[in-house]
Amino acid sequence: MKRQDSGSQRYGFTTWQQTCLITSTLIGVGVLTLPRTATSHLLEAGWMAPIVGSLGAYYSIWMIAKLSRRFPGMTFVEYSPLVWASKESPKLGKLLSLPWIFIYLSFIYVATGMVSRIFGEVVVTSVLLNTPLEVIMMTMFLLAFFLSLHEVDVVARVNEILFPLIIFPVLFIAIASFQKADWSYIFPLIRVSGKSIFEGAYEAVYSFSGFEIMLIYYAFSQHKAGKEKAGIVGILITMVVYTLIVVAGITVFGYEELQRLTWPTLELVKTTQVPGLILERLESAFLAVWVAAVFTTVANAYYAVIYGLRQCFNKGILFQRIASAFLFIPLFFIALLPQNIVEIFQISSYLGIGNLVLNLGVPTMYWIVLFLRGKARVPKERKADG
Amino acid sequence: MDRRWSYLCLLLLCLSFLAGCWDRRELEERASVLAIAIDAGGEDEERYRVTVQIPIPIKIAGSSGQGGGGNSNAVKVMSVTGRTITDATNNLQLRLNQRLFLGHTRVVAISEEIAREGIADILDGFRREALIRRLLWPIIVRGKASSLLEIKPELAQIPVVFIMDLVENGRKMGTIPDKTLGDYLNETSNKSMQPFLNYVEATKREVKWIGTAIFHDHKMVGSLTPIETWSLLQLRDQKRGGDVIMPLAGEEDAYVTLRPRFVDTNLTIRPNISKGGGLEAVFACEVQGDIMEYVPGHMRFASPEEFIRVMQKELKQELEKRAKHMVTKLKKHNSDILKLGLHLRSYHFRDYWSHHDWNKAFKDFPIRVEYTIKLRRLGMEMQQ
Repeated sequence: MKRQDSGSQRYGFTTWQQTCLITSTLIGVGVLTLPRTATSHLLEAGWMAPIVGSLGAYYSIWMIAKLSRRFPGMTFVEYSPLVWASKESPKLGKLLSLPWIFIYLSFIYVATGMVSRIFGEVVVTSVLLNTPLEVIMMTMFLLAFFLSLHEVDVVARVNEILFPLIIFPVLFIAIASFQKADWSYIFPLIRVSGKSIFEGAYEAVYSFSGFEIMLIYYAFSQHKAGKEKAGIVGILITMVVYTLIVVAGITVFGYEELQRLTWPTLELVKTTQVPGLILERLESAFLAVWVAAVFTTVANAYYAVIYGLRQCFNKGILFQRIASAFLFIPLFFIALLPQNIVEIFQISSYLGIGNLVLNLGVPTMYWIVLFLRGKARVPKERKADG
Repeated sequence: MDRRWSYLCLLLLCLSFLAGCWDRRELEERASVLAIAIDAGGEDEERYRVTVQIPIPIKIAGSSGQGGGGNSNAVKVMSVTGRTITDATNNLQLRLNQRLFLGHTRVVAISEEIAREGIADILDGFRREALIRRLLWPIIVRGKASSLLEIKPELAQIPVVFIMDLVENGRKMGTIPDKTLGDYLNETSNKSMQPFLNYVEATKREVKWIGTAIFHDHKMVGSLTPIETWSLLQLRDQKRGGDVIMPLAGEEDAYVTLRPRFVDTNLTIRPNISKGGGLEAVFACEVQGDIMEYVPGHMRFASPEEFIRVMQKELKQELEKRAKHMVTKLKKHNSDILKLGLHLRSYHFRDYWSHHDWNKAFKDFPIRVEYTIKLRRLGMEMQQ
């Protein structure tokens, strides 16, 4: 494959690759805590949280896909100046778009740090008890760095390969644990007020953050690929997996016990017995596979940030490689900022809601601007001939 | 140039085969605790006495050629006191050459004395410890809990394995409830039900399952005999329970034995007609089973049909009597281990649960048990 430094040469992502990209980015550390956060306000009806919580994500990804369709082959960084100013004044456009690009990239950047921190916490508390947190985080960073050395098509392929490895274990755990399920736990179906439904959904929102990386990756879509379809299906798969895991959590533990478990999904794995005692300690196997899920979350997001920067400064792959090596240093310290587990969950909850605001707000704003400037449609070139 | 690089790569590749675990710990290098027993401490400050059973790998038959002498010393039993459970395990570590490892713990024996005081404090440590498995079995021991670890069963090398097999087999046969730590924790967190645990008694050589210990808010409040436990298992978990041996009315030394094969229980909540107003819980339990023994040689019925009809009726009465007895006991101890509260909360939330305090209401909630016996076979014998 020909490597070109300019961002203009695109390797086509298929629709399926984009779906994998979205799903594997969304499924990450959130899945380990979701049964607890989802039931905190909704009690027995916690399984509604991922469903309601994903509504914003659908809308947002649809708008992002439409933006990308309006500016085909361009990333958020490339089309932002065109949204804010006409082609004739690129300086102005760049200036006006910089804050948004900056907010987005730094947000993804910080979120990535938190994901790797939570990953480290899980590993340290449950499997590698004597390993320092920093080492675990660094190994994850190294993996992400390794991915950042490559061109963007590698990202798509890596996600495509890892996709089954992420989906099936989680699905397997959810379904295998149903043998211990007591379905009385999910009744009464609804007893909380309408307000609590949204409070509960708000808790689940964090698990649906991360799809904003498609602001970058949609640019590499194949010409015929269905961007909207990929986005919607990607989130749909995630939602189904999440709902299943929450249902499994509620039916096995009951919502009261879920509130007391730091990592409910991990406990779910621990209590799940595979018939025939093939694997008695399923949690080690599960965590080993789950590393892939976290890797795709961290690496995709980190790659998006680095790629965004590269386009921002109009640089080539060399810049990307060097930047990816150096940007880990601040990321490392950001990840170490929260002092304890309570703070981590608090921050990730804030990040979730900030993410929702950003993902709903910025694409909407862009569309409003495009409409106001009368550029919502792609100018038809044939008209000039006539 | 290319060649040299490929040689280097090959060399590096070979190195990866030499890799090992730098902080590995061999199996013999850790003191794996198989069972923990918790008794009251006695001394003023030290609240708990913790006894652990550690297998000695080299002495277990089959692990190496020389081992397998007597089974008496295949395990080491050690005992320490402490203010909390973790304090006690730390004190134990001071006396051990290897690192204590709780990841293989399968049984936690708790003495009845401690259980009656409440075991919330004990389980807090287990809740937090990542190595502890939710599938381990907490067992309440009548008398001293440490006696359970000191038995010499002879049928198994390691006493804990013997106990585990005992519970596991009973679970498979449907006679002993499978109550794991996870179940206990779930049931104590849940506001609509109470937990129960297996209850055993240990003598010098043997261990015997003597029913279940029932709890209320982490405190043991009473116990059920094996027969009562089987009623509970039939109503709660649709497990078959043990054989029903019923003395026949009007005869001396006359017994009939029913072996339940399948149990199907339906719990319905109905408006209480007889006592006016309110709700009533009806456990409709269908038992399919065989006659396994019938020992008044001389008592004969007119026809096999008649025999089955009479037996079904009498067994129904017997089982209902037993269940009623069990329910009365639960009500006396105010401990809803039947999952009735959960059912009410799930399916009758608005019309019942939201305006009743189950902790108080369970005592007076009318419960009716209706058995249906279906005798399917008479064993290998065709005459009654």
